[in-house]
Amino acid sequence: MNKFVTTSAAGLLLVAASAFAQSPSDAQIADIVVTANQVDIDAGKLAESKASNAEVKAFGKQMVTDHSGVNKQAVALVTKLKVTPEANDTSKALKAGGADNLKNLQKLSGAAFDRAYVDHEVAYHQQVLDAVDKTLIPSAQNAELKSLLVAVRPAFVAHLEHAKSLQASLGKKS
Amino acid sequence: MRGVVLAAGLVLGAAALAGSPTAAAAGRTHEVAINALAYVPQTLTVKPGDVVVWTNQDPFPHTVTAPGVFDSGSIAAGKSWRYKVKQAGTHPYVCTLHSNMKGTLQVE
Repeated sequence: MNKFVTTSAAGLLLVAASAFAQSPSDAQIADIVVTANQVDIDAGKLAESKASNAEVKAFGKQMVTDHSGVNKQAVALVTKLKVTPEANDTSKALKAGGADNLKNLQKLSGAAFDRAYVDHEVAYHQQVLDAVDKTLIPSAQNAELKSLLVAVRPAFVAHLEHAKSLQASLGKKS
Repeated sequence: MRGVVLAAGLVLGAAALAGSPTAAAAGRTHEVAINALAYVPQTLTVKPGDVVVWTNQDPFPHTVTAPGVFDSGSIAAGKSWRYKVKQAGTHPYVCTLHSNMKGTLQVE
């Protein structure tokens, strides 16, 4: 289990996407969803206070709002379903990767911070989207949990596109 | 007892009759749901004077924005925005927060 702690941040995301030799249970999916949102909320909070570019700051703020909304709905659903989120290798890897990202971002400022935050958001949303499509939606057993994943998926697509367009506009300024 | 129910029915009927010409003059009210990052229905045909109510059923904010025509600003989760239709024409609109969301208000 602890092997993830020593893995690099980039490796963590890959592990997160492919950790399941067999399908995760609904309790494990619930933990992955809540963790994935929380990781992006934490990064968004940092960007909201630390980003220098106004659009990056606004994006960070939106990530906090959108992912908090998804988590509120996810927690309400699992409470209703009496499912207790169960920590697993994927959710642990996401958490460790999020902590590494924050640690790295803390060291940066100005345009370097903006770029590193946005680059990570592009990679992160792509990885989460892959996990949603390849693992979480196909594995979800409960119909309401599956519909929740299907319903919020377009938000991750929109966030990815938004982050990519920010990445392109920051790139032009260099 | 039956008399009371009948009387209540007559009062309601009278109210409905009195109310209907006013309602027609004020235009119809149309509902658009915002659900799973989609406007449902995606295209809505209305007349000037009609009212359109967009209700955000998603757990985070959205906007209903047709640049230069109308802009809801942020509509919080579970909240609605009403718009009284003015300008005729085809008005494509978007969510400024989620660029993959698109709808059209067709005003005849």
